[in-house]
Amino acid sequence: MKEALHPVNLDGAVEVDAPSDFNPIIADAPSPTSPLVYTIPSASLALAACGGGGGGSSPTPAPPPTVQVAKPSTDSEAARFILKSSLSVSEAEITNIKSIGYEPWLNAQMDAAISQTGVAWLSSRGYDQITADDFFDNEYPGDYMIWNQLMSDANGVRKRVALALSEFFVVSLGGLDFSWRAQSIAFYWDQLNSNAFGNFRKLLEDITLNPAMGYYLSTRGNRKEDTRSGRVPDENYSREVMQLFTIGLYQLNNDGSRKVDANNQPIETYTNADVTNLARVFTGYDWDFTGNVRTPDVGDPTRLINSTGYVLRPMTLDPTKWERPSTTSQHSTLEATFLGTTIPANTDGTAALKTALDTLFNHANVGPFFGRQMIQRLVTSNPSAAYVDRVARVFNNNGSGVRGDLRAVFKAILLDTEAMNTAGLSTPTFGKVREPMLRFVQWARTFGAASTSGNWRIGNLSDIVSGLGQSALRSPSVFNFFRPGYVPANTAIATNSLVAPEFQLVNESSTPGYVNYMTSAIGSTNGVGGDVKAAYTSELALADNSAGLLDRICLLLAANQISDSTKATIKTALDATTVTAASTTAEKQRRVYMAILLVMASPDYLVQK
Amino acid sequence: MHIGKMDDLSRRAFLRRSKQVAIAGTASSWAMGLAGIGEAAAFSAGTDYKALVCIFLYGGNDHNSTLIPFDSTNYDLYSAIRGGGAGQTAGGITLARASLAATALTPSGGQVLTNNLQYALAPEMTRLKARFDEGKMAPVLNVGPLIAPLTLAQYQSSNLIANPRPAKLFSHNDQQSTWQSSKPEGATDGWGGRMGDLALSSNANTLFTCISATGNAVFLSGEQALSYQVSSSGALAVNGIKNALFGSSAGSAALRTLMTQTSNHVLEAEYNRVAKRSIDAESVVTAALQPVTLATSFTPATGRNSLAEQLRVVARMIAARQPLGARRQVFMVSMGGFDLHDNLIRNQGGLMGQLDFAMDAFYRATIELGVADNVTTFTASDFGRTLQSNGDGSDHGWGSHHFILGGAVNGGRYYGVAPQVSVTSPDQVGQGRLLPTVSVDQYAATLASWFGVSTSELPSVAPNIGRFSSSNLGFLT
Repeated sequence: MKEALHPVNLDGAVEVDAPSDFNPIIADAPSPTSPLVYTIPSASLALAACGGGGGGSSPTPAPPPTVQVAKPSTDSEAARFILKSSLSVSEAEITNIKSIGYEPWLNAQMDAAISQTGVAWLSSRGYDQITADDFFDNEYPGDYMIWNQLMSDANGVRKRVALALSEFFVVSLGGLDFSWRAQSIAFYWDQLNSNAFGNFRKLLEDITLNPAMGYYLSTRGNRKEDTRSGRVPDENYSREVMQLFTIGLYQLNNDGSRKVDANNQPIETYTNADVTNLARVFTGYDWDFTGNVRTPDVGDPTRLINSTGYVLRPMTLDPTKWERPSTTSQHSTLEATFLGTTIPANTDGTAALKTALDTLFNHANVGPFFGRQMIQRLVTSNPSAAYVDRVARVFNNNGSGVRGDLRAVFKAILLDTEAMNTAGLSTPTFGKVREPMLRFVQWARTFGAASTSGNWRIGNLSDIVSGLGQSALRSPSVFNFFRPGYVPANTAIATNSLVAPEFQLVNESSTPGYVNYMTSAIGSTNGVGGDVKAAYTSELALADNSAGLLDRICLLLAANQISDSTKATIKTALDATTVTAASTTAEKQRRVYMAILLVMASPDYLVQK
Repeated sequence: MHIGKMDDLSRRAFLRRSKQVAIAGTASSWAMGLAGIGEAAAFSAGTDYKALVCIFLYGGNDHNSTLIPFDSTNYDLYSAIRGGGAGQTAGGITLARASLAATALTPSGGQVLTNNLQYALAPEMTRLKARFDEGKMAPVLNVGPLIAPLTLAQYQSSNLIANPRPAKLFSHNDQQSTWQSSKPEGATDGWGGRMGDLALSSNANTLFTCISATGNAVFLSGEQALSYQVSSSGALAVNGIKNALFGSSAGSAALRTLMTQTSNHVLEAEYNRVAKRSIDAESVVTAALQPVTLATSFTPATGRNSLAEQLRVVARMIAARQPLGARRQVFMVSMGGFDLHDNLIRNQGGLMGQLDFAMDAFYRATIELGVADNVTTFTASDFGRTLQSNGDGSDHGWGSHHFILGGAVNGGRYYGVAPQVSVTSPDQVGQGRLLPTVSVDQYAATLASWFGVSTSELPSVAPNIGRFSSSNLGFLT
């Protein structure tokens, strides 16, 4: 057993040298378009000024750095950066980023307007109509929506970040059982997408009042306590908003490590009494049926279908707007004490929510707790403490006194020396397993996939045998597809005290399942779902040149992180069948399919570095 | 209570076992898991077969809607706390008393529970009711994770050193992990896997010791034992290796090479270890399952039953135990959807019906295969739920009731102590979150003893067992 384990140099993951042409100064001014500016409490400012343990000397302002835009010098460097930041990379983007530099490219991507929302796309395809197809009563338009969003060309960086957010603030389409669930998940996705580079505090409030989240974690219809019947407020959202969406279970240092007490034990962030008290804040909400119109169902005219509006606006405290209007508020009037904050009895619901969300947002844990998981989603499963600390500091203060500026946070994650340094390419613990859904989306975008029908008829791919074992916006629970602290047992990962979240999806069924799914997708005659087909235009033009074909695929899919031996294995297989310029299209296709599948099945590709 | 003592016991077991497997590791290609491990038998020699099957109910099953107070006095208490209707009718998150009559349980031997409680199973559980009456099913009452016996006063004490309790109570992921492994999230071995460690030497093919028909879970990982995954349709082949890849046998060969090659990168190497294990095992499993015929139907009258599909492949693997070289096996299956903060009444019944159908189908399959006395099935879950209602559901709790089913079960009666139907009694910690009176370690140790784990080995399976007065609850012969 021991012999099978690989010796690991952990030092490399902690100390990395900046590439010579990389300027690590990224604390730029906040986006002028940032919709909200939140005041940082004085305590947080003081902490930020102290630098969270960065030595005892008082900070002296550094001389202004020489402004020098860092640019990738090679196609591999360019592709490596873009593949961490976005859902795919193209030759044009490589050319562009080499020309304008990393940060300007990222800025332009972050500035780009959203080309089309998920809700608008569903409307454009008629999925908001009441027809004999009963779209209101089906999940699949929600699947079509998200695959269209992820596979369509625009806003790659924004959508990559929004997808990462969807794995932190989880709502699952499979858990939504009400009319217009596809529109509901689309609106949730749209809120993640529109807030991706906004402020964490606004995002937190938006998802708290989102109608899909309201259903998923049962804030909708959550009523105040009733001493007569013994009913107490539902604790679901109260618990998960703390455990999963803001502060986590244990008090953290700014670098993500756990604080310990006098007995060297971790310190829990909240007690069950905090959960029970905070639950009172989330009472009294329900869906907002303002302007609702009921339309007879086509198949069953006795069934009246609500219009889509109620899943497209925040939940409301006002009982006159509910489906069954009332004049009685269901918001708890009891005092609520949690995390050292007390909301007095009889506080107005909106004011109570503001205090509660401000309290959570301003907790010192949020920066390291959220920042570390976003690093894990985008860059590496095992970031160094220093990397987490740098990102959390930007969360705490974007340099202009704003806390929670997500644009600054994601720039800090992607432009960090640890993410970009070439040392990561040779450090045996750096990087992360690419998620199955990201591999599939990358394939579609890279090779020009398009929908024949325009409806992007790709459904739920969660099945391990017939699908990918993972499907966007379809986590099995609010705990995401995998946990940030997952350790696969009996591995060198465990022996080296590392974590590998995505390994929670890796087993003896999912490994063949993924390869089988991609084999059928890549070579499908009629397209995935009989509808979504890749064009392979540039690849087919290179089909008679196996080396050139392979070079192109290795660059675009894996930023050339494919070893020479793996490339040699693939090239040998490609060359076993002669393909010339005069070969038939079918012969050229088979070579292209094989080249893509073999790259995507190689461990070199499966781990993004 | 001296915690250090238990650490010592565990450490001793660990050291001894490490030595044992270190020998085996050099003698066999353990990493492939396809070779025998030798003579170091933890269990008695022979050809007997035993299997444990864990059914994990993800989300935290509402035990108060699973075993429901039925006698009039306790029903009224339950109804009052859960918003029931007048005259013992349904209401809030209660069922009408009359709907429980057909599944009311009468334990054998005149067993009397706390406050003369009589329970009924959820009305959908007619099959488990019949198994209870046959003496093949036993409910275990108020089981949950504990480090040591704990009273309410001790629970309320701020001295956690003198009064230890599991970390992160009421949290889904942590209590799933704690139930399965005795530790919160991040644990790397569970008690199923730890029994597997002891069973490795009994099996000619060690890979088929711990088998999951559901996702990755810590329960089945041991210090050495691996969790091997099968899909509901058996072992999954790589189509592009079994058949030519896009018409190319050279492509197939390359695919096999790429999926099984080693790497200096830790994540790449471990990913491919799984892929290689999958490819190597697939032909063995597929060949072993091919001749298996199973007449027992796992198909419900309507709809799909994912749990039954998982249990069907478990039954088929058990049928193939000889070609798979297995004498001791631990399986895990699961179903989800139990986190019913909302819509409890609407959804719980369906879940109970699915559980009832799947457990009974599996039990019938073990009869068909002639191994009913050799296979024991048990339930587990994140936690129980509050007795108190939040309007249309219940919230996260602690202790819960669970089921044991099999030919070796001393069934038809209860084990453990029935909790009072109360949100103020000392057997709960508020809102009816049960303070467990049977620890998961006792539950695990009872199953382990039946499985063949010796008394001296129990601490390595159930690390807290030494702090409890009994290590065998007696529900298995």
